[in-house]
Formats: sequence, C-alpha cells, structure tokens
Amino acid sequence: MSSVAEKAAEYIRSYQGRPIRIMEVCGTHTHEIFRQGIRRMLPESVHLISGPGCPVCVTPIDYIDEALFLAKEKHVTICTFGDLVRVPGTEENLQDVRAEGAKVRMVYSPMDALAYAEKHPEEDVVFLSVGFETTTPPSAISVREADARGVRNYAVLTANKTMDQAYRALRDSADAFLYPGHVSTITGTGIYQELKSEGISGVVTGFTGAELLTAIAVSLKKMEDGKPFFVNCYPRVVTEEGSPSGRAIINSVMEPIDSEWRGIGVIPKSGLKLRDRYEAFDARKKYSIPNIQGHADPRCRCGEVLKGECTPNQCPVFGRACTPEHPVGACMVSNEGACAAWFRYGRDFR
Amino acid sequence: MDNTQGKRITMAHGAGGQKTSELIGEIFKKYFDNPHFTKDDAAVLARPEGRIAMSTDGFIVSPAFFPGGNIGELAVSGTVNDLSCMGAEPLYLTCSFIIEEGFLISDLEKIAESMADAAKEAGIEIVAGDTKVAGHGQADGVFITTAGVGVIRDGFAPSGTQAKPGDAVLVTGDIGRHGCAILLTREEEFGISADVKSDVAPLWNLVSAVRDSGAAVHTIRDATRGGVGTVLYEISEESNVGIRLDQTKIPVDPGVAGVCGMLGLDPLYLANEGRLVIFCPKEETDTVLDALRSRKNGEGAAVIGEVTDLNPGIVTLKTEIGSETILPKPGGELLPRIC
Repeated sequence: MSSVAEKAAEYIRSYQGRPIRIMEVCGTHTHEIFRQGIRRMLPESVHLISGPGCPVCVTPIDYIDEALFLAKEKHVTICTFGDLVRVPGTEENLQDVRAEGAKVRMVYSPMDALAYAEKHPEEDVVFLSVGFETTTPPSAISVREADARGVRNYAVLTANKTMDQAYRALRDSADAFLYPGHVSTITGTGIYQELKSEGISGVVTGFTGAELLTAIAVSLKKMEDGKPFFVNCYPRVVTEEGSPSGRAIINSVMEPIDSEWRGIGVIPKSGLKLRDRYEAFDARKKYSIPNIQGHADPRCRCGEVLKGECTPNQCPVFGRACTPEHPVGACMVSNEGACAAWFRYGRDFR
Repeated sequence: MDNTQGKRITMAHGAGGQKTSELIGEIFKKYFDNPHFTKDDAAVLARPEGRIAMSTDGFIVSPAFFPGGNIGELAVSGTVNDLSCMGAEPLYLTCSFIIEEGFLISDLEKIAESMADAAKEAGIEIVAGDTKVAGHGQADGVFITTAGVGVIRDGFAPSGTQAKPGDAVLVTGDIGRHGCAILLTREEEFGISADVKSDVAPLWNLVSAVRDSGAAVHTIRDATRGGVGTVLYEISEESNVGIRLDQTKIPVDPGVAGVCGMLGLDPLYLANEGRLVIFCPKEETDTVLDALRSRKNGEGAAVIGEVTDLNPGIVTLKTEIGSETILPKPGGELLPRIC
C-alpha cells in the first residue's frame, strides 16, 4: 500500500467527527469500493451511499417498454449495450423477447450499431442510447455520421442524461459527493465550483483503492471546516476545462430536456434528446412510439436505495425475488448497481 | 496426405469406404502411430498395477485455432490434466472427431500433429479413434471428444475434499490467459487487440514432479472453465473450509490485466487450460514450489493464499489497500461493463 493510501486510511479510521454521508455517484466507484473492501475500513460515523451513477440503474421502466414496443410491434433490430437486455420492463425484458424471436443485438459501441445498419440495409436498426457525458459523445457521433453518410435505416432511442442537475436534486441526500472521474474528464471542474457556490460539496476522484481512500479522507477533513468545498483529487486526468470537443459534439446533435430517473423522478433539464435537425434519426418520431406508462414492481425500493434512504438489504425482495440472475429492479442488473454490489460482496465473513 | 493443400473434408470421408481409410491412414495413423494404436475394433491393453482413473471431455472451442494453440492440443491436454489432478499417470487416450463437411484437410492435419505432440509431452498413448463427418452447418468446423485412462500408484491421491485449514494455496503460473486469448479472437466484436497467448498445455510433468518431491499435497485441480475463482469456491465447499487470497500475490500477465480492465472482467474468472491450483500444508510450500518452478509450465508458480477454518464455503481477498473483501461467487453470463 502506498504511503498516501496508508495516511488516508489512518485518517479515516481515527475520524471522530460528526456522522457524515458521502455519496459516490459513479457505478465504477461503487464497484471498486466493494472490490477493495473500503466499507470495512470506515468508522461507524462515515456512511457511503451508492448514488444514481450507473446509467442502467436510472433508466426508467417506460424506456424499456418503448424498446420492447420497437422490437415486438415495429420489428426493428435493437442494438444495445449488454446490461440493458436484462433490465425489467413492465411485463418482460429484452432478453425475453429475443428468446421469442425479436432481433436484439449486443454491441460495445454505437458505431458498431451504425456499421450493422449500413451492412444490413434491409433491416431497421435502433440503438438504445443511454449513458452520461462519457458515453453520449459516441452516440451523438453515430447520429451525425448516419446523417452524413445517408444511412436511413438507423435511429437512436435516447435516454441520455447529464449529472449536474442530479447533484442539485440529491443535495439533501448527502453531505458530500464523490464526483465521477470519467464524466469529469468531459464536463471539466467548472460545474463543481458552481455547485460549491450553491452550497454543494464534493471531491473528484479516480478509481484505484488509494485514490478512493484519499478522496474520502479529504472529504472528512474538509467537512471539519464546515464550509462548502470542492477538491480535484484526480488532477492527472481531470482538468478545469474538461473536453470542449466532447461537449461540442453533444451540443451539436442533442439538447437538454426534462428527464425521468428511475426511482427518483423527473429532474428538470437532466436529459438529452436529438435536436430537430436530426429528427429523422429519433426513434420516437420515426416509429410514432405512443406515450407508454410503465409500471415498476411496487415492492422494489431501488429509488430509496439510490437516495441512500435505505440499504439494498432492507428491500423486501433483495436476495429473494431479486437476484442478479432474476433482477426485479434495475440496481440489481449491472455489476455497478448498488444492489448487485451488495448481493455479490455483502455476505458476512470474519 | 499427399498435397492436402486446399482439399476439404467431404461426406465420403465419413462413409467408411476408401476415403475414410485414406484419411485414417494418411493423417491419424501417420501422427498417432504407436504399438498400441489399434487397427481393430478396440485397443487391447495390459492391466497396469494400481487403481485406474478414467475421464472424458468434449471440445468445441471456437475458433479451432487460437493464439497459443488449437483444439487438438486442447483436447489432449484437457483429458490429461483431468487425470493428472487425481494423481493418475496418464496412459491411454481415445479420440473421436466430428468434422464439418468442407473443413480443410490441411487444418485437420495440423490438429492431429498438435495432438501427437501434446500426447508425447504428456507420455500418453493415443490408442483408438473415430471419425464422423457432419453435413455443412451441422457442426462448427471440428469437435473432438477424448477419453483417457490413467493409473494411480503409491497412494498419491489428492482430492477436492482434502483441503485443510493451514494449507497454502498455490497456482502454477499466471492466470486467465486462455479465456482472454479466446475473447481476443472476437476482436471484431470488442475492438481490442493484445498479445495474449493461451496457456494450453498437458501438465502431468508438474503433477509428477510434485508427487516425486514427496510433499503431502492435499488438493490439485485444473482451473479450466470458470477460472481459478470458480475452482476455489468448489474446493471451499467440498472441503468445508474458508480460503483467503492475497490480491497482490495473484500472478496476472500485464496484457490479460489490461484487457480485463477495459472489459470489466476479473482474471480470477477467466478460463485456464494449463494451470493448476494446488493445496498443501504450509510447511511443504517450498518443496512444492521448487518442484514446480524447475519444470516447463511451472516457472511462474506462486502462493496466492491460505486455507482457514473461518468462513467455510467462502473465498475472501486481502485487497491491495490492506482491507478484506469477499470474492463474489461466480455466476451468470460475463457481460462487459458499459461505462
């Protein structure tokens, strides 16, 4: 263990201040915190909350129902990141309809989906465009490229989200945020200074055990001062300006809209949709998707988990009806979801 | 076969007539020839002293040729290693081929040659075989099933139920290479390339070296499908013990670590085809390591953890920042992460 990590660990262990809630908002952070055993190193007064930073976890049920509608009623070929196929819709999931004969393909990038569309002009291809600032630029590029190359059998079903409004919506759920390392490479740190001026505190952090420990220790230390703070603990990667070109690509193709976050509700201006100039590639318009109202399993407490109002094991279906093999809620689907992490790492041991 | 260049397997090669004899004579007999290789309906063999171990395994790897090996080497090594893990010296092997119509005869020859090399390395004799041809699309290239017989001498009989608190847990080299190499052959799908070769190899030389060292070994298992993590969970349950690994001591090739980092996979769950997990009392560790490290495919042997009487049925990890965590139980499809 590096000396920095050792110092950080020591500081955290000996923390005797008031109880503090720190929310990590990136799914990869959640996963690493469990994988490195960081929760076991925390004193009782330090609580980590796994926030809404896994795109799969916050995708609303209506969205899955829309994708199911396209696959079943419009017979389009759905191209999607792997995890989404297991997220439950109201009645079934994409894996179920694939078994029944619908065309659902897993891809690793939206450009793969576009390439598939070009190769198969006889099929209508829709890419399920979810994700935050890091995954949105490639999606925007795929639309721009499809337009430039005249690929008419390609469209995207957008549920892209941006994080800044989410921090504001969740400000009462945590005393400080561990801001996501990768998203910050695009957004830059200006947004965090703004949040600080509004009284919202946080630290940008990387993904190693040492980096996460350091960020937690810095948060505890700064909390003692009692003033809002922002510290960039990941300066080797995250800069103040971020990636202007990444943001420009998003802005040229998409514009902000109000967006629903599963379990949390609608957060104003926290989502992205295609600009009118690209409406030919908007699956909702192209296939006249009706207004679908999905219904989540009422027993599922994913929303409360994402806000830190309960821990996954306090949910009545956790580990019983809801397991990684048969997820009831979205947080159990992805490896980076809070419930999946608790399920996989949460067994007691000595 | 004279000038096999460009020639392909046809249904006639599986019909039992002239073409079948040609194929057997000019490929299988050419490479598998030994005094026990039968021309008859069954190989007739003398009964060895000791208890007999017998095992069978089917191989359908796609693609049949991958960086570091091919399906032939895999089919021999897989069965040899299953016998070896029981402490059985491999003696005889049979192999059954299901070949898809249109398969290149030159590729079949390469596969047969690799099988002969692997068998020679393992000291096992291929004594009987069978060839069937499946219509185009009814098989994928070539499928091979091998069955092997070995003999257990001198009471050396490691087993998955024998792990005991106080044992050291060893691996015979860096982990996850076979699974990673196969993943990388789907480069078009993942868009990643890296120089990672499969670890496929027959491992009787390692097991016999450990046996001959006189060390009291409790358990030996080859960490194939599901990887080292899966095998450790199996053993922890079969022996009703806890296993504590040290994350920093687990040997992983940098290429494998890089690919796993990008795809969100853990090398502990990637398949190996030339790696053993060995449990022995702590005081025997040096003897076992010395025996392994002086042999081919054992150079990178390392201690990765220990057996405890705490947490029976659970595998825990000491992490690089000095904390402890659970090794998640393997399960379900491995899906690369999306962000």
